Amino acid sequence: MPDTQALVNDFLNKLKKRKIEGSQATAKQTAELLRSVISQTRVPYTNQAAALIQSVKAVGERLIAANPVELAVGNVVRRVLHIIREEDLSLTAAAMAGVNLSAVSDDEDDADGDNQPVLSAAAIAAASRSTLRPPSLQTLLEDVPDFAAVPHTSSSGGDSEGKSKSADKSSRSRKLKHDVIEAVNELIQDISTCHEQIAEQAVEHIHQNEVILTLGSSRTVLEFLCAAKEKKRSFRVFVAEGAPRYQGHLLAKELVMRGLPTTLITDSAVFAMISRVNMVIVGAHAVMANGGVIAPVGLNMVALAAQKHAVPFVVLAGIHKVLRHNGCLTSKLLDIFVQ
Amino acid sequence: MHPAVYKVGLQYLSGDIWGGNARCIAMFQAFKEAIKDYSTPPEKTLIRDLTARISSYVSFLIECRPLSNSMGNAIKFLKNRIAKLPLVLSESEAKATLMSDVDRFINEKIIIAEKVIVKHAVTKIRDGDVLLTYGASSVVEMILLHAHELGKQFRVVVVDSRPKLEGQLLLRRLVRKGLSCTYTHVNAVSCIMQEVTRVFLGASSVLSNGTVYSRVGTACVAMVAHAFRVPVLVCCEAYKFHERVQLDSICFNELGNPEAISKVHGREDINYLDGFVNQEKLQLLNLVYDATPSDYISMIITDYGMIPPTSVPVIVREYRREHLWS
Repeated sequence: MPDTQALVNDFLNKLKKRKIEGSQATAKQTAELLRSVISQTRVPYTNQAAALIQSVKAVGERLIAANPVELAVGNVVRRVLHIIREEDLSLTAAAMAGVNLSAVSDDEDDADGDNQPVLSAAAIAAASRSTLRPPSLQTLLEDVPDFAAVPHTSSSGGDSEGKSKSADKSSRSRKLKHDVIEAVNELIQDISTCHEQIAEQAVEHIHQNEVILTLGSSRTVLEFLCAAKEKKRSFRVFVAEGAPRYQGHLLAKELVMRGLPTTLITDSAVFAMISRVNMVIVGAHAVMANGGVIAPVGLNMVALAAQKHAVPFVVLAGIHKVLRHNGCLTSKLLDIFVQ
Repeated sequence: MHPAVYKVGLQYLSGDIWGGNARCIAMFQAFKEAIKDYSTPPEKTLIRDLTARISSYVSFLIECRPLSNSMGNAIKFLKNRIAKLPLVLSESEAKATLMSDVDRFINEKIIIAEKVIVKHAVTKIRDGDVLLTYGASSVVEMILLHAHELGKQFRVVVVDSRPKLEGQLLLRRLVRKGLSCTYTHVNAVSCIMQEVTRVFLGASSVLSNGTVYSRVGTACVAMVAHAFRVPVLVCCEAYKFHERVQLDSICFNELGNPEAISKVHGREDINYLDGFVNQEKLQLLNLVYDATPSDYISMIITDYGMIPPTSVPVIVREYRREHLWS
């Protein structure tokens, strides 16, 4: 536990001092930290998922408070919580099938369960109720999951069944953590390779002799365009400079270095040029649940112009940028965004 | 080449004189000087020779900086007046007539027209308004200052853009007179448009299909204002109307200096493109004008009154024929 605490504090410091560059790196490190927290959490015998959720929530809240602008942190925390709940549910369903199976085989004196898992509807319902219930008065009063009740309904228990039950439980507790950590590893893998996965789809969207408009600079967009260039598509890119940070200059330089014909324009010329553009491709800071996009200033103007000229407006975002709610730019967040 | 014309040409080139009205007035002052010093060479008629002389001056000015639409109209007027000079006039009388015509044009079409526009436009400003303007239009500046003198309570949002950053000059003049102003970049116009009640824009010229040809970025501001249902009022003198039609901003435009894009004045840290400017794959595009479609314009305020964009060809047809070339 002290080991994890040190890790958490170290990461909190980095977040507060904005030492981590970019949302992908932040998301990856957050996921790795939560993985360590999960593996270090001691889970009780019963209701393991709740304990894991509790510890992840505690750490997650501190992480989000350290850097509210970097929305990827909150997204990753919520994803990990979702993973825990999902793994718990699937384990419960599998365990239910396993318990019924062992019950049936005990009855038939057949150790090797080759039978069809006969799941009684009531048992499954009880299992799913216990694992995914949101906190309510009932769940608070019930500490013990309904596994104790279930075998009574399916068949008369015996010693053998009791043993298989406890064996199931302890293996279940180990299995939950194991499954969750596996899923979090997959999440980390997804986050690390998000640019490559997005860039793979570039060829489907960019054809020959296209004109593409973008604003500011985004690593995802850069890799996307370069992937299309690798596959021998010839196209031209208009980059709007994206004042006041002027990241468009950087992107234009990168594109020219990789051999793409690029034109740098000012932000005010976007409406003038958009009549000659086939597609607008941009990156985003975050994607909201209703499809809205939080992006560098000026993209609203580009989107309106694209709508007027019926130009497709494509936003590239990794999975760590997807918000679960319709984030609104509250005044507190705006104060932090405004430099 | 007359020295006055040469001087004006160089002022255009360096950017010391900019803005439709200023350029037009400066050009006419230079032409007046040239006409005053003109003397007909032997064996030539005044009309033909003077017209040829003026054409050569105009070609020089075009070399320095392409003409704006308003200047084109003004030159057409001058050539027309020269051609209509009665043959019986002596040289000095002819020159005097021409110079008084030029004075009359400047006075009627520019100076008094601006006053009339201001008189119409201040009726559209109410107390508590938040007015947005883009760039630095001389007419809009006069409107805002006059409304402030009349005691109306309003505040101004000045939207500016690279690379010319003309809005800063307007901002200084407004703040000096005591108006409360907000200054922002064109990227943030969607954020600020929620508070705005009216948008006042200037124009370099208005075309026959109602399209407003103005500083690049005006179309963006008008589009966002339209999306937020804010009325857009374009203030433009009638001599700037043109019978040509333009569908988008690319068909006809002026290109500015590309170096102005790669360098950001006052921000030495933005030097990513140092040494890259000569790469063949990189093109720096500095457009000067853009065309705002007429659906974004609520009303055009001219010296002939306040008209919808669809009435522009009427003005071009009726008043142009009667007044300019009578």
